[in-house]
Amino acid sequence: MLEIKNLHVSIGGKEILKGLNLSITAGQVHAIMGPNGSGKSTLSYVLAGRAGYDITQGSITYNGEDLGALPPEARAAKGVFLAMQYPVEIPGVTTMMFLKSALNAQRRARGESELDAIGVLKTVRRKAAALNVSEEMLKRALNVGFSGGEKKRLEILQMSLFEPKLAILDETDSGLDIDALKLVAEGVNALRDPARAMLVITHYQRLLDYIVPDRIHVLAGGRIVAEGGKELALELEAKGYDQIVKDAA
Amino acid sequence: MSSAAAPEINKQTKETVAALGEKYKYGFVTDIEMTRAPKGLSEDTVRYISAAKNEPDWMLEWRLAAYRRWVQMKEPDWARVHYPRIDYQNAYYYAAPKNTPLKKSLDEVDPKLLETYNKLGIPLNEQMALAGVAVDAVFDSVSVATTFTDKLNEAGVIFCPISEAIRDYPDMVRKYLGTVVPVSDNFFATLNSAVFSDGTFVYVPKGVRCPMELSTYFRINASETGQFERTLIVAEEGSYVSYLEGCTAPKRDENQLHAAVVELVALEAAEIKYSTVQNWYPGDENGLGGIYNFVTKRGDCRGDRSKISWTQVETGSAITWKYPSCILRGDDSVGEFYSIAIANHYQQADTGTKMIHLGKNTRSRIISKGISAGRAQNTYRGLVSVHARAENARNFTQCDSLLMGGQCGAHTVPYIESRNSSARIEHEATTSKIAEDQLFYCQARGLGAEEAVALIVNGFCKEVLQQLPMEFAVEAQKLVGISLEGSVG
Amino acid sequence: MKTALAPARREQAASHFRAIGIPTRRVEEWKYSDLAKALGDTAFSQDTARWKLGKLPAGVEMFDLAEANAPDWVRTHLGSLKETALSAASLAYADGGVALRVTGAVETPLEIEFSGKGNLRALVVLEKNSALTLVEKANGDDQRNVGVEILLGANARLHHVRIARANAAVHIEEVAMTLARDAIYNAHYASFGATLSRLELDIALEGQGAQAHLSGVSVLSGEAHADITTRISHAVGNTQSTQLFKKVAGGKSRAVYQGKVTVAQGADGSDSRQTAKALLLGDRAEADLKPELEIFADDVKCAHGAAVGDLDADSLFYLRARGIPESDARDLLIHAFLEDAMAGIVRSDLRDQVRAAVNEALAS
Repeated sequence: MLEIKNLHVSIGGKEILKGLNLSITAGQVHAIMGPNGSGKSTLSYVLAGRAGYDITQGSITYNGEDLGALPPEARAAKGVFLAMQYPVEIPGVTTMMFLKSALNAQRRARGESELDAIGVLKTVRRKAAALNVSEEMLKRALNVGFSGGEKKRLEILQMSLFEPKLAILDETDSGLDIDALKLVAEGVNALRDPARAMLVITHYQRLLDYIVPDRIHVLAGGRIVAEGGKELALELEAKGYDQIVKDAA
Repeated sequence: MSSAAAPEINKQTKETVAALGEKYKYGFVTDIEMTRAPKGLSEDTVRYISAAKNEPDWMLEWRLAAYRRWVQMKEPDWARVHYPRIDYQNAYYYAAPKNTPLKKSLDEVDPKLLETYNKLGIPLNEQMALAGVAVDAVFDSVSVATTFTDKLNEAGVIFCPISEAIRDYPDMVRKYLGTVVPVSDNFFATLNSAVFSDGTFVYVPKGVRCPMELSTYFRINASETGQFERTLIVAEEGSYVSYLEGCTAPKRDENQLHAAVVELVALEAAEIKYSTVQNWYPGDENGLGGIYNFVTKRGDCRGDRSKISWTQVETGSAITWKYPSCILRGDDSVGEFYSIAIANHYQQADTGTKMIHLGKNTRSRIISKGISAGRAQNTYRGLVSVHARAENARNFTQCDSLLMGGQCGAHTVPYIESRNSSARIEHEATTSKIAEDQLFYCQARGLGAEEAVALIVNGFCKEVLQQLPMEFAVEAQKLVGISLEGSVG
Repeated sequence: MKTALAPARREQAASHFRAIGIPTRRVEEWKYSDLAKALGDTAFSQDTARWKLGKLPAGVEMFDLAEANAPDWVRTHLGSLKETALSAASLAYADGGVALRVTGAVETPLEIEFSGKGNLRALVVLEKNSALTLVEKANGDDQRNVGVEILLGANARLHHVRIARANAAVHIEEVAMTLARDAIYNAHYASFGATLSRLELDIALEGQGAQAHLSGVSVLSGEAHADITTRISHAVGNTQSTQLFKKVAGGKSRAVYQGKVTVAQGADGSDSRQTAKALLLGDRAEADLKPELEIFADDVKCAHGAAVGDLDADSLFYLRARGIPESDARDLLIHAFLEDAMAGIVRSDLRDQVRAAVNEALAS
């Protein structure tokens, strides 16, 4: 589904990713772990198409298509979803209104019929209940005044609503206490699907106790330096990044 | 509030504004034979207009006095708008479709005119229109049709072209005309007093809640012609009326002048809600053409416990110079001003309000949302003045500017003057831009760049959009998005 | 200023003033201050006012503008900054004044006092990396027009505290200032009014990282008038300005604040905050506030707030309910209202001086 080859990415002329290779097939959950500054967020932004992240070399192929050439909204319509580390606040736009606009924009881009307000409302309500997202939250302006946990739950609600093919979760565990983390993880696990790939980006192993990955990649200095099964997370936890990076070198 | 009136807003209004919410598509010209006053402005022009309207002598004298005053006045230059000198002698001051009967039934209206309004999304045919909104259609210098007058008459509400009111209800017009905006008020208001051609007169009798929304659609069609409409709304004791105006004009390379005067009088415990969607042709993306919109709008809360509320969505015009104001004369009276002003490309907007607190316990609220894009300049200019006897006066002002791109300007010029120690005035202003991360977030969830901008800007304007009748607000959101097309790269 | 200013420049300033003259209330910036009326029939004085300097600390060089042989730095800078009609008048008609040049980081505050009638000029030059604390006293019941120019070099720091007190006077002071890269101007203006008192500041943030932090208090009673008018220009990016002005107006007094912040095109990263608040305590007192923003760049943080009112009834009640008599409670709240504007005075000894002046004014 996703094939990243020798990816070099620069921000403002400074190279952050330096030849990254990664391949994920449908139905799999991969985790990217790495220390601060290793390029984790850069990878998530470049996959979602944020401006200012220049691909200087290499390629990102998504279902046979060059992902790098598409604007962010086209990627979303084709099923790429990024749950952001810091979801953005948009004053005056209610959460419900945003969900409807985004959902219908994606449907429109895919040539599907738009859903009416009632239809969206029903779907959102059903999915929101499972994630403990209250009716009141849906009426508030998007992410404005939301707690860290509320923001992350809303990200997962969007993932559940948009039903992406490739979901990238960027530090979804940051800022969550253990109960909130469990709730979010349950939401994510419920969305595991043979047709869906997930890329879980995290600094800590603890998220991977709840979302168990098929494969773990360690990112350091803009490259994948180690790979392995889920047991690699424990090794990382025990040895620390420094040691793993050294071992790999 | 307008809760009882709001559900009455019908499909017609909705469609009208829906039509407004698309790319400037009113740029067409109706080919119709016109009668015009000779070019230029003189006492003869004034006499011509008065005669064409078959006006009584007092009206002519009133106009002439205004004209004589005007020739001695200087065009104001304090606003932040720049434009080449207007040659007042090189324009027509009166243009009317030929064969328009003075008192007309819809059957007599030239089919071309009906078609024009249909194209604008305003069906004047009462059978076709759903009940709920009565329309006065003003085409260049004359009102060409007014709908639902019979139904309104049953309630005792007068809703007619002002030219008719001058003939049919002279006492009422004389009693109020020029009492809110005096003839000598300012250069453009004085000009209007001399040459105003048509506009709307509304009278709501004591204790009557106007049974439907009233609206006027102003259309400039003729070239080289100014439009000078005059609107007078009088709400008697304990009455309520909600009035909506819409404005469109053809695309032309020339600049055309529009100098209207609107006077509102609210007597004891009366309420007037006045909404505007101003979508005059704004000029093209290089700043060529567009309407010069110099408008004087003022409401007088003459009675105790009266209320006047202005809501405006200003997206059109090359230049907007407009300060809908409230004179809070009656004790416990309330003034409101809710404004969205969008300036894109080379548009210049200098708009705001004046809240003059004269009476005790008077309250005012100002919410202004200015959006600048392209190379436009957008200025909020407002005055809150509390006079010495305005015990316990209250004002709250929130004034927010949004900039899109580094070549436009957003300016805020509030004047706060208080001469009463028990009064309380609060003013807040912010300036922001659409953050790159907001745009990216929306795009990453599937919204196109322009859609994302429209969504974010509508969020920014929400408090004002909410003031519009509900169905209308939904459609006005589209207009907000459209006005900003081409503002993101 | 025989040697400090070239005759041609002086003539130019005179003609600038003659062309515009005494501003009337029809001039937008003088809407709330009727100078013509305050001056009455008396002609605008062409005398030269007086100045007095405290002990000159090491690192500060002084030149008396009335003397011969003006040094280069005086000739270069005097009359070099932006002028208004009135500051042009002080340049044209003052026959003296003072010029200061700071080359090092000076610890001891330097006191300067203006008094007497007529025009006067002052020039303050802080060379790069220098620092000075300047305490200005403007006193006397006279008609005076002072033109001040302040130049802050790269990374210079000027801490300026001004205490202005007069009664039957017309006091005008026009300050033009320019700040180079990373320079910081930190000022507090305490004014207690006059028949007409006006402090006008024109501050140009011309170097990246430059900052201007202004605060001020006004305590007015009787028929006093105090006008503070500021213009701050963010000419380049990453510049910062803050303004916090608090005014208490009793009797028939009039408190005026006009502040205009301009952010030039391309001055991205500019940050500006502006707050002006007035308490009206007299039945016939008046407050006029005009916080203005003029913005030509989009990547900026600019906000302003203004408020006029009387003491908060809830707070007053709360204090009284706790047993504090009404007059004490009112005093407490008035002091609290002014206090946060004085908190910005960096040196505690100067802060105490301003507090003492405020207390005295409130007690009278």
